[in-house]
Amino acid sequence: MPSDNRRIQGPEVSSPYCLFQSGNKNVDVHSGRSEVLSSRKDSRKFMEHRKIYLKTGVVSQAKGSAYVEFDNTKVICSVFDPREIPNRIEYSQHGELFCVFKFAPFSCLTRRAHQQDAQEKELSLCLKRALEPAVCRHEFPNFQVDIYVMVLENDGGSLAAAITCAGLALADAHVPMYDLVTAASLGVTGDKLLMDPVEEEESLCQNPNKENQNHGLITVALMGAHTQVTQMWQTGSMTAACVSDALTHLVQICEETYPIAQRCLVKSVVDTISKKAQ
Amino acid sequence: MAGVLLSEAEKTFILHGVQSDLRNDGRSRQDYRPIELELDIVTHANGSARVRLANTDVLVGVKTEIDVPKPEKPEEGKVEFFVDCSANATPVFEGKGGEELATEISNFLASSFASSMSFDLKTLCIIKGVQCWKLYVDILILECGGNLFDAVSLAVKAALHNTMVPRVETVAMDGGNVDLQLSGDPYDCWRLDTKNMPCLVTLSKIGEHFIVDSTAEEEECSMASLVFSVTDGGRLNSLCKTSVGSLHPHTLAEALKVGVDVGVRLNKALDQALAREDRRLEADKPERFGFLK
Amino acid sequence: MELLSDQGLRLDGRRPEELRNIRCKLGVFSQADGSAYLEQGNTKVLATVYGPHQPRGQSRNKAPHDQVFVNCQYSMAVFSTGERKRRPRGDRKSQEMSIHLRQALVAAIRTELYPRSQLDIFVEVLQADGGNYCACVNAATLALVDAGVGMREYAVACSASLANGEVALVDVSHLEESSGGSNLTVATLPVSGQVALMEMSQRFHSDHLPKVLERAIEGCKDIHQILDGAVRKHVEETGRASGWGQVDRAGIAL
Repeated sequence: MPSDNRRIQGPEVSSPYCLFQSGNKNVDVHSGRSEVLSSRKDSRKFMEHRKIYLKTGVVSQAKGSAYVEFDNTKVICSVFDPREIPNRIEYSQHGELFCVFKFAPFSCLTRRAHQQDAQEKELSLCLKRALEPAVCRHEFPNFQVDIYVMVLENDGGSLAAAITCAGLALADAHVPMYDLVTAASLGVTGDKLLMDPVEEEESLCQNPNKENQNHGLITVALMGAHTQVTQMWQTGSMTAACVSDALTHLVQICEETYPIAQRCLVKSVVDTISKKAQ
Repeated sequence: MAGVLLSEAEKTFILHGVQSDLRNDGRSRQDYRPIELELDIVTHANGSARVRLANTDVLVGVKTEIDVPKPEKPEEGKVEFFVDCSANATPVFEGKGGEELATEISNFLASSFASSMSFDLKTLCIIKGVQCWKLYVDILILECGGNLFDAVSLAVKAALHNTMVPRVETVAMDGGNVDLQLSGDPYDCWRLDTKNMPCLVTLSKIGEHFIVDSTAEEEECSMASLVFSVTDGGRLNSLCKTSVGSLHPHTLAEALKVGVDVGVRLNKALDQALAREDRRLEADKPERFGFLK
Repeated sequence: MELLSDQGLRLDGRRPEELRNIRCKLGVFSQADGSAYLEQGNTKVLATVYGPHQPRGQSRNKAPHDQVFVNCQYSMAVFSTGERKRRPRGDRKSQEMSIHLRQALVAAIRTELYPRSQLDIFVEVLQADGGNYCACVNAATLALVDAGVGMREYAVACSASLANGEVALVDVSHLEESSGGSNLTVATLPVSGQVALMEMSQRFHSDHLPKVLERAIEGCKDIHQILDGAVRKHVEETGRASGWGQVDRAGIAL
C-alpha cells in the first residue's frame, strides 16, 4: 500500500472511543439481537424511501457537479472535462470513465484514512459500472471523464446516493448520455425488507440474528426511461426468491426517484436561461 | 486475455451459435469445460489447491498466522484475500499491470465470504480479545482463458477445505503477555468447515441467452455479465454486474434463477471432487502431480 | 549445525557431489509462446516466454536496433517461503534477481536474430527451498527452448558451498544456506564452459575458490545433461502423431 507522506497522521495504534462506551449500539448488534423488528426508528414505513434533496451546479470549478442528501446521508460529486487517457498508447474506440469514490475522514462512525482503502476501491468500481451504460462513450473516443464522489456524511445508502449524484453531475457537465441513472438500496433482515436503510439498520442487516436467516444489503441502479438496470450489487446471504422480490421493490423506488432528478435538471436549465436573459 | 481479436463475422457466428444452444466448442449454454483439481500442492502452506479450467490456471495457498483480533470484533478471527495476477498469464500483468483486476477479484471474494453463515470467523478465535488466527488466502493467477472468477472461487474453496489449522495446546498468561504453545505434532490440526462456503458463477449474456463458463472469445461478444456467489443451499452471498452493459429487470430475475441453479450444481460437483481428492490423499504416499501432468 | 556429518552425508542425506532430484516439464501453458516447469528438490519454478514481439510501452525507447530487447521479471508467490511474503515482486531483491536472470540469459540467446523486437521472460517461484536463482535460470532456458527462440547453448546455473572449511557441496538447499554456509552461484554455458554470471555470499578463503567453482561447474554440466534429456523427450513426444496436444484429465463432469 503506498504510504501517505504528505499528511501528519494520527497515532497508528488508536481506537475509536465509541467501542468503550457502555450501551454501545455496535456491540449490541454483534451479540445478536433476537427481537423482531416491528417498526423503524425514524418511524418510516418499511418500503418508504427517505426524503431526497438534489441540487446541481454546486462546485464552480468543475464542469458539472451535484449534491444529494438522503436525509442525513450527504454526497457531493464533481465531473471534469474529458481529457486524454493518461498512460495509454493505443487508441481506444470508446471513452473511459474514471471514478473515484471516497468517504470523507469524518463521515463515518469510525475515522477513515485519507487514502482510498479496499472498500472504497470496490465502491468506485461499482459506481463506474453503474454509470458506463448510460454514457455515450463513442462520443469521446480516447478520452476519459473524471468523476469524483465524496461522501460528507454516511448514514446508510451512500452508494445509492453516490450513483444518483454522479448521474446528475454528468448531466450537469453536458456529457452526452442515453438516460439519467437513479439508484436505491434495500436492507434484508429475516423476512423484513427495509427500503433505504440508515447506518444502524445497515449494520443490523450485515449479520444474521438467527440461524439460516436472510440478511444483507442490495443496491440497484436504474435508467428510468429505458427501464434498464445498470448495476446491481448484493452482499450478505439470502435466497434467490428474496433477491427477486427486493429487485422489484427497488426498481419501483428508482422509477419514483427518476422524475425528481429530472425536475432538478429542468430547474437548473430554467435558472441558467433566466440568468442569461437578465 | 492474452489479446483476443475477433472480427464482426466471428462475433455473429458465436451469437447465432448461442441462440441454437451450440457454442464454438460444442458445449451447450450451461456446460462447464473440463475442470482439473488438485489439493496440497504447496507444502509450505497450510492448505493449497490448483484448479485448471481448460486454459485458466489458478493456484491458491492458505497460510495461518496468529494475530490480534479487531477491537470492535473481539471474538472473531480474520481472513484476508490477496490476488496476484502473475505476468505468466499475459505480459500486460507485468509489474503493476494486473492490480485493477486483482483488487476487483479480492474485493468480490471478501464480500462473498463476509457473511458469518458461510464462514464463521468465531471458529478462528483463540483467546477472546487477545489472540486469534488470521488466514491469508493467496491466489496466484497463472493463466487466463476466460471465466476467471469461477476458477478462482473453486480453487479458494478447495484450498480452504484442505487447510489444516494447528491446534493450540497450552496458553501461558503472563500479565498482559500471552504465550501460546502450538501442538508439536504436525498432523494434529483441525480443518475448516467449508460446507456453506460459496462458489462464484459468471453468467454472460450473448444475444437473448445466458451462458456459463465463457471462453475469452465469448467474453468479447457478451453485452453484460453477472457474477453470483452461490452456496450449497442455493443462497446468494454476493452479486455484481461486472461488465459495461445494462439489463432489463425481467432478464435480471431470469438470470438469478439460472445462476443459483448452476451454482448449486457446481457446489455439489466440487464437493464430490474434494471428497475424492481427500480419499486419494489419505493413502500412505499419495502421488503429487503438480504441474508435471 | 554441521553441514557435513562424519559419514560424509549432508543435512538432507545427500553426498557432497549429489544434486537434488530434478523434474521438469515443457509446454505447461498453451497461451504463452513457451513455458516450462522445473522442480529442483523442493524448489518449484514456473517460467514463461512471450515473444519475440513488437516492443511495448517504455521498452520502445530502450530496444536496440540490432539486437532483441530481453525483458525479465522475477516474481515469488506470496506463499512460496516459510514465512508469508508481503509483496510478490517490486522489492529490491526481486529486481536484482531479474537483472541477474537477464544477464545469464542474454549470454545464451542469439540476440542478433531478432533485431528491434522484445522478448519477455517471466519467472514465478511457487516454492522456495534454496537455489531459487539456479532453478529460475534452468526453467527459463527450458521455456526459451519451448518457445523456439534461437540460442547458442543452454544457460544452466548451479550453486555450490563449502562445508567444514574443506569439502565443496553442490546444489545448496535453503537449510544449508541459512545455516551460515557460503553460497557461490554460477550460471554457465556448459558445452563451451563459459561463465555468464558468478555471484557469492558469505566468505571463505580464496584458496578454496577453485575447488568450489569447479564443483559448481561440474554441477552445471550434470544439470545440462538432465535438461537436454528432458528436451529431447519432449520433442520426441510432441513430434509423434499420437502425442499432439495435451490430453486433459476430466476431473469434474457437470
